[in-house]
Amino acid sequence: MTGARRLMFWSGVAALCAWVLVPIYLIALGAFGGRAAAFRWPKAFTLVNASLEQLATFLRIEGVWNAALNSVIAASLTMALSLLLGAPAGYALARYRFRGAGAFRLMVLLTRAFPLAILALPLTVVFIRAGLYDTPFGVALVHTALALPFAALVTAGLFAGIPRELEEAAWVFGCSRLQAFMRVVLPLALPGLAAAAIFAFVISWNEVFAASVLTVRNRTLTAYLLTVLAESPLHYRFAGGFVLIVPSVVFIFAVRRYLFALWGVSNR
Amino acid sequence: MTKPLFAGALALAAAGLLTASAARAQDLVFLSTQLRPIEEAQKVREVILKGAPKTTYVVDEPSPFTVRMRAEQEAGKKTVSLVGALHGELQPLLTFNALDPIDDVAAKVASRGIPAGLMELGKLGSGKQVYIPWMQATYVMVVNKKALPYLPAGADVNALTYAQLAEWGKALAEKTGSRKLGFPAGPKGLFARFLQGNLLPSYTKSMVTEFRSAAAETMWGDFKAVWAGVNPNASSYDFMQEPLMAGEVWVAWDHVARVKDALQQAPNDYVVVAPPAGPKGRAYMPVVAGLAIPKGAPDRAGAVALIEHLTKPETQVITAAEVGFFPVVDAKLPADLSPGVKLLAEGVARTQTAKDALVALLPIGLGDKGGEFNKVYFDTFQRIVLRNEPIRPVLDAQAEVMRGLIDATKAPCWAPDEPSTGPCPVK
Repeated sequence: MTGARRLMFWSGVAALCAWVLVPIYLIALGAFGGRAAAFRWPKAFTLVNASLEQLATFLRIEGVWNAALNSVIAASLTMALSLLLGAPAGYALARYRFRGAGAFRLMVLLTRAFPLAILALPLTVVFIRAGLYDTPFGVALVHTALALPFAALVTAGLFAGIPRELEEAAWVFGCSRLQAFMRVVLPLALPGLAAAAIFAFVISWNEVFAASVLTVRNRTLTAYLLTVLAESPLHYRFAGGFVLIVPSVVFIFAVRRYLFALWGVSNR
Repeated sequence: MTKPLFAGALALAAAGLLTASAARAQDLVFLSTQLRPIEEAQKVREVILKGAPKTTYVVDEPSPFTVRMRAEQEAGKKTVSLVGALHGELQPLLTFNALDPIDDVAAKVASRGIPAGLMELGKLGSGKQVYIPWMQATYVMVVNKKALPYLPAGADVNALTYAQLAEWGKALAEKTGSRKLGFPAGPKGLFARFLQGNLLPSYTKSMVTEFRSAAAETMWGDFKAVWAGVNPNASSYDFMQEPLMAGEVWVAWDHVARVKDALQQAPNDYVVVAPPAGPKGRAYMPVVAGLAIPKGAPDRAGAVALIEHLTKPETQVITAAEVGFFPVVDAKLPADLSPGVKLLAEGVARTQTAKDALVALLPIGLGDKGGEFNKVYFDTFQRIVLRNEPIRPVLDAQAEVMRGLIDATKAPCWAPDEPSTGPCPVK
């Protein structure tokens, strides 16, 4: 690389990193900087009088841990269910020609077309009658309905991108259909599946309305905090925002190598 | 990696399902639309409910609250034993018959000294006691002491008029270089309450009937002058405590609970005063929250005990001291209130006892049309003040919308409008 190109490359890298990191940094600054710093203007860009106090107060709130557990349960269930149901649908869309495949692609998106606020009342009534009210599993079911279209369509694209010939070759060498799928297609598809899983996880983690209407005691973290967060003092919002961001970041970090593979960077 | 991840997730989920639903299942659920912010909810759990029957305190925003109560009613299975909500939020619950009459509880708390007028509100016009008043609040003006030197000559900060407020705002803008008045006109702000509860009644002694009167026309003209001194960021303000603390705004109107933080933080920086007066008086809007028991509540006896606890004078005083909502019962506030709450208490007292005080009640009988009612005021404000449309045609058009709303709900007039037999007329 020549000097000028190198400069452009690195300034591009810096800009992209800043795009993501600066907001997170500012939130962290607000979360650790104490009550006064949250209101100071212009904002200081360094941390003065760092304190863990507001974050600690935040984590001491009654029920936060229970809510966090519920969130993890609901998000994990959503992730599992939407992949278990979505990936086969995606595989079918990619590998088989059947009447109505195009319509199915479109229809699957329709679950996102109904505003939850309108469905909330009948849905809650049904959930109460079915005994799913106030359980993380019930919340996960609704979130799965929301995440499923993405899971199906993302995996369909994924499986379509894996050459059929590889599978056929596996059959020739004596694999059954299932074995061929498990040994050849699945390893190639893993990064994409991880991406779909992240989508599902994040959709569930961030969803507020269904989670708050369908639960009373067993709220998810977002439902427990987000609605009240908007009405809380600024420094609490920073602390809360920080607490809500961290798990998603950790999760994405954990599956990052699958994502890198998806984007053509070899596993590292 | 994916498979173990799934297996782990499933195992975790299964374990969680078992433990989470078994835990805390025995407590009484107290669902509230009030005292939602984290610090206040914590105060309720740790201080206010101390000594009460074991309770799980859960909060809901008003819209999921109604959906939930309705769903539990339709499904016939209740989880909530006690609800705490504003007068206007409890009314819709009565329309789908979700509230238990509690005349027995009313008899039990009769000795608390809750004013008869408030108890009457708690019947929601049904003839039976539906809720027991829980706490009250109102809207006040908070003034940063830095703004006091710029008061117009001869003006008393405790007895301002709208004309003086306009002059004050102008002086502040000229002398400080930025507009220092503030109203919560953001998406979650309560600005519509200012228009219907403070501004319009101060000029017309009416919230509905005189909506398009000549006096209302004068009022909008005057208010445009006030708005010239209002910070342009006002359309993003939800809670005035933040712009106050940031020093962006020096004179602000808001609900007491929404300015409390600023006062707690720096009690020496502020004074709390009554809202301004117009030609017909100093209108203000009292806000009442009540406690009600859903039909078929899982623990009615517990809920009754909780109501008794919450209406005890001691608890009421603690509530005032901790969260800044004021007693509905006959209770003397202690002298050692925290300075911030003390400021608020003084402001509320000044508002209620002002010589020209005029009570404007929260809209009654609009059911779920309350939001649209607020929108009429906000739209009128937007067209006249922000878009500078001519006043008369806008008032005429919006009065039609208002009439449609009132006719649809058949709501009779409420104070300060004169009582009506049919739907409240819009002249």
